[in-house]
Amino acid sequence: MGSNMGSAIGAIMSNVSSIFSGQVIYQAKQAWQSLKGHPGFIASVLTTMGLTVGALLCILTLAYVLLVKPLPYPDQNSLYVVEHQLINKDNKVDGGAFTYPNLMYLYNNQQVFEQAALMHLDADVLLSLPANPMLPISFVTPEWFSLLGPKMALGRTFEQTEAVNTYNPVAVITYQTWQHDFAGKVNILDEKLNFSDVSYRIVGVLAESFSEPQLHGIGYNSSVILPWDYNTVSERDRKTWGNDDGGLIYLAKLSTKQANKTINVVQAGHALTSLVNDNWQEKISSQDFFKGWGINLQVKTLKSVLLSGSDSTVYLLLAGVLGLVMIACANIANLFISRTAEQQRSLAIKAAVGASKKQLFISIFSETSILMGLSTVIALFVASGGFLVMQLYLNEYLPRIDELSINVFTLSCAVTIAILLALFFAKLSANMINYHALNSTLQSSGKGAGIQVSAKIRNILITSQVAIVTALVFINITLFKDAINTLNQPTGYESNNRYFFVMSLPSSNEDNKDELLANIHLMREKLLALPQVEMISQSRPPSAFGTYAVTTAKTNERYSAKGKDIDHQYFDLINQEFLQGDNFSAQDIKNDHRVTIVNEVFAKQLAPDGNVLGLTLNGSKIIGVVNSIQIPNSKTIDARFYYPASPIRNMVLVKVKQGQKLDRETVVSLLKEVSSQIKLFSFASLNERSKSRLYTQYVTVFTSGVLALITLFLSSVGLYGILSYSTQMRRFELGTRMAIGAKGKDLIRLIIKDNLLAIMLGIALSMIMLLIITIGFNEQITNYLTLELLPLLFITLSAIALISFIACYFPLRQLINRPAIHSLKGCE
Amino acid sequence: MTTINNEKSSKLKIQMKGISKVFETEELETHALKNIDLSINEGDYVSISGPSGCGKSTLLSLLGLLDMPSSGQYFIEGQDVSDLSLDEAAEVRNKKIGFVFQSFNLIDELSVFDNVALPLRYDVERPTIETITKRVNECLELVSMSHRKSHKPNQLSGGQQQRIAIARALVANPAILLVDEPTGNLDSKSGDQVMDVLAELNKNGTTICMVTHDPRYADMASIQLKLLDGMILTTPVAQLAV
Ligand SMILES: Nc1ncnc2c1ncn2[C@@H]1O[C@H](COP(=O)(O)OP(=O)(O)OP(=O)(O)O)[C@@H](O)[C@H]1O
Ligand SMILES: [Mg+2]
Repeated sequence: MGSNMGSAIGAIMSNVSSIFSGQVIYQAKQAWQSLKGHPGFIASVLTTMGLTVGALLCILTLAYVLLVKPLPYPDQNSLYVVEHQLINKDNKVDGGAFTYPNLMYLYNNQQVFEQAALMHLDADVLLSLPANPMLPISFVTPEWFSLLGPKMALGRTFEQTEAVNTYNPVAVITYQTWQHDFAGKVNILDEKLNFSDVSYRIVGVLAESFSEPQLHGIGYNSSVILPWDYNTVSERDRKTWGNDDGGLIYLAKLSTKQANKTINVVQAGHALTSLVNDNWQEKISSQDFFKGWGINLQVKTLKSVLLSGSDSTVYLLLAGVLGLVMIACANIANLFISRTAEQQRSLAIKAAVGASKKQLFISIFSETSILMGLSTVIALFVASGGFLVMQLYLNEYLPRIDELSINVFTLSCAVTIAILLALFFAKLSANMINYHALNSTLQSSGKGAGIQVSAKIRNILITSQVAIVTALVFINITLFKDAINTLNQPTGYESNNRYFFVMSLPSSNEDNKDELLANIHLMREKLLALPQVEMISQSRPPSAFGTYAVTTAKTNERYSAKGKDIDHQYFDLINQEFLQGDNFSAQDIKNDHRVTIVNEVFAKQLAPDGNVLGLTLNGSKIIGVVNSIQIPNSKTIDARFYYPASPIRNMVLVKVKQGQKLDRETVVSLLKEVSSQIKLFSFASLNERSKSRLYTQYVTVFTSGVLALITLFLSSVGLYGILSYSTQMRRFELGTRMAIGAKGKDLIRLIIKDNLLAIMLGIALSMIMLLIITIGFNEQITNYLTLELLPLLFITLSAIALISFIACYFPLRQLINRPAIHSLKGCE
Repeated sequence: MTTINNEKSSKLKIQMKGISKVFETEELETHALKNIDLSINEGDYVSISGPSGCGKSTLLSLLGLLDMPSSGQYFIEGQDVSDLSLDEAAEVRNKKIGFVFQSFNLIDELSVFDNVALPLRYDVERPTIETITKRVNECLELVSMSHRKSHKPNQLSGGQQQRIAIARALVANPAILLVDEPTGNLDSKSGDQVMDVLAELNKNGTTICMVTHDPRYADMASIQLKLLDGMILTTPVAQLAV
């Protein structure tokens, strides 16, 4: 093959050099003339290659943007994120987020980084606009701007005037917020933003081109940037050394000098860990709970944090689309081969009048070049369509999706792929021509001589198709099944007909507490008065828990458990099963009694016999045990406990009557009637909430299902093409066999037997491929490796066997269902 | 209406009564055979000749059950084969008919031995390997090709290939050998050799029905039929020979 490629490249070079003699134009015209008569052929090639190469370009660009392309920030290679871990006494990671005091201590005392910025993400209702939009907000220190270097559309960034503890109420908004919420107002810099009780003066607008690093989660963009001082961490939590908060982020930069000295991230992590941990140990020495605990800091490149495991998705997509392209290539190769066989006479005439081997190659290469060139143009359109679709649907699933576009990388890939494919197909076609036989084609009136696809090429095509389709379909079915399993996991609670909303309340203090309580009471009454509403509960939603340090009174044993505050109607409302003891009473909620309810998992941890009623946790008595629910898309079930919510809890669960609905507008106007101070922060049905938690699974079900079907379809078409061609070629032989007494089933058996080896070889190859994947990516896929794979493998192999059989049988049908004379005559 | 009676034989091998074949294409109907009556007895050597397009090959393909007549009745060794399914026809072909084609029709991938053995492999009675080997060797002997058993067809000359094809036609002990222009693809020397083999076979009792253009070879047959426009000429007329 190497020397073939060499001579092919030689042919291109001579083709290029012949530009000066107008050869290229002549060749292109000739090629177009000969192609023009075959619109079906052109259409098949263009659609197949256009679509699959388009998909390939799309995924290649995605891979480039995610894995290779520099982040759009100055000195992006020296940007790091520090991650904070609470390590419990068993040396396990208990919490993966910063505690506020540790973050501040690190910010004020570290020596490792040249510069560091703090970020905190939250959202609030913008009171100063009549629409009261809910806007995501980033609270940042001024360094955030110098590290990320955003261009400004208007005004200024944060500077020393907004440094920590300056409490300067100013704001920077994004270009999108300026356009959407302020309709691009010219004098935006005079405007003020009112959130909660503070009024912020807008001092700058970020440029449209700026995209912030989505450190809070993929697809999570903030609309407003406010100074760090105003972050929404409560005064109490700002001083608590033990509670972590996932919204706190530490972004930093090593000076280029340091980077050159190759300070490695592990060393940096160690230095920072001992700095923070020493201080922390001192501060918590009085708290028994944290005896034996520690802090660990990890330094990671910004790039790796942003990628957050998406690389495996990219590799998976890449493998899938490469498989598709290979199947498509095999199909198109088959078309080219048949076409060359068809052209044998015209090729023979060209050879007879003195065309050299090289000249014949160039005339074939001109054809394949035109076809691949056009396919690539279509592919580029398909790819840009693909970018739009990905931006619409995968924005919350993959990072940096908004950076996708046809770029230099895409174009150079497109050109390279087009040239390689054109060369490949030309080489393949040219290799079929037996130059010695060509002349005799003209002389003899043609009994079976001339061009035929060698059995070897046919078998290679069959084997490669089967190998790729088996591996791809199996992988896709596995992913599909796993995602379906997660989707169908019973949760242990009811989410149909249930809604959840969060209110934005004025911050409560001694003066307004009674008024607030009265308003909430009114809100409850009005809500229950709605005809569709059956029941309400002021609680956190089923899937949300916080992490808490808990101690039992009796043994002084310490636990880290998930907990949340609920009212007495919560379990009833979501139909969560009670196993032991009692529910909270209305009095427990009203008077904030020190009682708690645990789930079964926690109960088992607390007392192996499950008898936990009466034990105390952090001073609250356990009065009941509930069934453990399965939160959508989480692999494990944690130890959990529930405690009474405050009567002014701002979260509400609503159960509506069977078949009825509750919508956002109803809640908005209801809250407006209650008080102008209460705004709707968010609203969703529980089903919508679990759907968004299960987004990955839905995407997986969709892509793997579609990919499996496309793969099966393409390879069915391909196998059918190859086998029907080979049956066509053997028509005369099959007719002879019929003449001497072969029956239909004898011929079916013969064709299957003749192709069985190639098919089995393909299946064996796919097994080897799967084995290599299993060994190579053992860690990533252990979750998938179960005995359940065997039936899936069986289904895959059955599907392949069925397709192969159909591909063998159908082309044969037109021969064996007619009198033998048709097969004998057709070839003469 | 021609009925052939041969003194030296008594048993009726082939009988056609009022056989017609009409080809219908989009524009026209071709009456390729019109009301043919034909009987062939055991041991006959029948030649069919006539101008191009007169229906020789069509008659042969009906005789060989490669195609179905449009009307009429057809018996092979007394069995009515006028209306068989495709698979039934295949079984009858396998047992009772041996074909020799103008272009040999050997299968390139199979050795000479396997080519000859092929009809036995499609035999519903599944003969044993020993039976097959014995029978194949006998037939190769008959055409004097025993020394080329393991060759591939494309390693042989045209005349040799045609002799292999004859051996294959004989291997299942057919009721009749149907031969379509056996010398059409051969030079005159190889052609003569092939005709000698056929004559020798007939002398030893094989029933043969052969289509040929060549009057020299037609003369070698004991019964010479002339076909014109899909009909058998009643009286043998010398000047009609092509
Ligand atoms: N499949 C077919 N469809 C339509 N017409 C056909 C078909 N086969 C044969 N014919 C027509 O039937 C007639 C007889 O054809 P046949 O092949 O039997 O002639 P032939 O005597 O063998 O001629 P030659 O000596 O040239 O081989 C011809 O007119 C031919 O055109
Ligand atoms: Mg003929």
